[in-house]
Amino acid sequence: MTQPHEVEILLVEDNPSDAELTLRALKQRNLANQVFVCHDGAEALEFFFGDGSHALREIGVVPKVILLDLKLPKVDGLEVLRRLKEEARTKSIPVVVLTSSREEPDIAKAYRLGANSYIVKPVDFEAFARAVSDVGLYWLLLNHPPR
Amino acid sequence: MSGLPWNWSIERKLPLFFSALLLAVVLVMLGAAYQQVRTAALTFASERVKRSTKEWVNASQRSTAQQRTQVATLVADPGLRDFVASGGRRGRDWALAAMRHVAPDNTPNVAMELWDTGGHRLLLRGDSALASDPAPLPASDSGVVSPYRVRRDTLLLSDMQAVVRRGPEGEVIGRVVVVRRLNVSALARQTLTGIAGGDMALLIGNVDGDPWTDLEKVIPAPPPEARVVHDSAIAVSYVRGDAKIGAAARIPGTPIMFISELSRRQVFAQSRTYLRRMSLIAAVIVVIGALGAWSVSRRITDPLNHLTTAAAAIAAGDLGQRVNVSGTDELGRLGHSFNAMAGEVQRARGDLEGQVVERTRALRETNAELEAFSYSVSHDLRAPLRAIHGFARILLEDHGTGLEPEAKRVLGVIDDNTRRMGQLIDDLLSFSRLGRKEFETARVDMADLVRTVAAEVRLRAGDRPLDIAIGPLPPALGDREMLRQAITNLLDNAAKFTRQRAPGRIEVGHRADGAETVYYVKDNGAGFDPRYTSKLFGVFQRLHRAEEFEGTGVGLAIVQRIVLRHGGRVWAEGQPDAGATFFFTLRGASDA
Repeated sequence: MTQPHEVEILLVEDNPSDAELTLRALKQRNLANQVFVCHDGAEALEFFFGDGSHALREIGVVPKVILLDLKLPKVDGLEVLRRLKEEARTKSIPVVVLTSSREEPDIAKAYRLGANSYIVKPVDFEAFARAVSDVGLYWLLLNHPPR
Repeated sequence: MSGLPWNWSIERKLPLFFSALLLAVVLVMLGAAYQQVRTAALTFASERVKRSTKEWVNASQRSTAQQRTQVATLVADPGLRDFVASGGRRGRDWALAAMRHVAPDNTPNVAMELWDTGGHRLLLRGDSALASDPAPLPASDSGVVSPYRVRRDTLLLSDMQAVVRRGPEGEVIGRVVVVRRLNVSALARQTLTGIAGGDMALLIGNVDGDPWTDLEKVIPAPPPEARVVHDSAIAVSYVRGDAKIGAAARIPGTPIMFISELSRRQVFAQSRTYLRRMSLIAAVIVVIGALGAWSVSRRITDPLNHLTTAAAAIAAGDLGQRVNVSGTDELGRLGHSFNAMAGEVQRARGDLEGQVVERTRALRETNAELEAFSYSVSHDLRAPLRAIHGFARILLEDHGTGLEPEAKRVLGVIDDNTRRMGQLIDDLLSFSRLGRKEFETARVDMADLVRTVAAEVRLRAGDRPLDIAIGPLPPALGDREMLRQAITNLLDNAAKFTRQRAPGRIEVGHRADGAETVYYVKDNGAGFDPRYTSKLFGVFQRLHRAEEFEGTGVGLAIVQRIVLRHGGRVWAEGQPDAGATFFFTLRGASDA
């Protein structure tokens, strides 16, 4: 089980198939060990702003990058994004939005709210795997968040 | 308010027409009345001069007859006969006494003479200034009256002569002459014309001509037409000094005649006064009529003007406009009808606006549903597809070594079809998005756009020989992003269908067609059967099998949709294995 202090990538994804495929793509780049998965928006908010009941939450440990699906149960991705970017403690964490299609009007909203990049989840698995792992690598290896 | 009379406003035409009509009627009636008054005045004047003349003639006839009787009595007097027979030597006192019966001594204006047949005057009694000249004997012994004669320019004299015989039926031995002077003076004229009414002139004179008198002085004879003598006095018109109406009559048995005359000017003076007075009244009537007509026309045109103003305001969009309505006449009813109509229009417009709002709302809802549907398609349809594809790949990658070749082939089919399904969804979404996208018109540099797109197409073609020739292209008016999509689709299409050519040739050019520009993309690719040209631009319409050329059949539909949204046309020409040319038109953008 991945420990929170080791978390480098937070994946917020409700679809278990997509989550599995994403994890597989990251695993191919040897990034999977540092991934933590939230299955809906509420859980993601709990992870960051919870009252302490969240089993895995530990103050002071923040992921280096967040992969955020926009369409989520309970609290949708845009709301999560808004909350993250409002909070001084979390607003510097890079957020990569995962979306099903480039046609989605939510992409524009996500950028306005401060998303750093986006990935269209292609049907083609190889393309998806490449995109996910590229972005993950980019933000983990090339981008140094302010300390 | 200018131009031809029938283009004038009613407010101007109606009073003008009415006034003209009134004026014409008044003038005709005035003329008729004046004529009647003149005729009456003329008739009255004629009657007056005739009656006057008759009365004067009658009076003169009576006095002449009386004088004749006196003279006849005188010449039958034995003493006078004896005096004449004696040649004036005896009986002078007898003769004088007899003559005194005719006219007393010192009677003014009368002189009496006795003459013998030898032309000697035997006796002169009375005013010697009136004494006559020797004259031939009259033909008979009845009193013969002579024409007037003038002596010393002022004396108008007339004789009555009678023969003296020796005894009854005896020989003529002499004659008696009674000379009478007509007493003419201003006083006499005033007195006599005063009796006749003051305005009438009385003239006496000889039937045959001069001398004549107006009772004040000697005057020239009136013109012959004034002296025409009939059995009774007849009024005639003539000119003596000025135009006159007069009636003449002879004193029977004498060469003397009377004329009573009136000046026409005086006769008609009253008619003219009447005319002047009536004209004044007529003018007042016309002015009052014109004012009345103007007032009436204002009462008609004012409401009409209000109606016109209100109608114009309503036409301009102020549907709340109404007119003030008073009265129940035609104009009042028109105003009521107008207000009712305006109310109806306003209500109908309100309904219409309500309907538009309602429809727009419904349309927005439908659009929102469509958006939601598109979102759902793009998200929810792709997620399972991704899972199918992804896990099929995992199966192949992780467990491929344990699978039979047939199982691997089936997995490959799954792989292919999920890919195609994903492409289909993407294309369909971009096609439907075109209908909702905001249209931004700008000047688009087509040459630059085509060069950019061609570079991308060449990149995608990889090592394959592909020759894209771009001719000069004029700029167009349109949405740059949409046009980019259309050209991308056309060039991708051309690149795809020239895949089996070495090299593949694509030519992009244009030709001017009026205000439009016809652009074309020509290739030397697989072409198409012209019988199916109509299906070329339909959604999901494909003329080639998937094994030959991949594709979803959406690309050309998108091109057509984009060109149609630009107000242009799109068509294609081609033959199987002889290449295809795609044409589209756009409005040109002037370089100014």
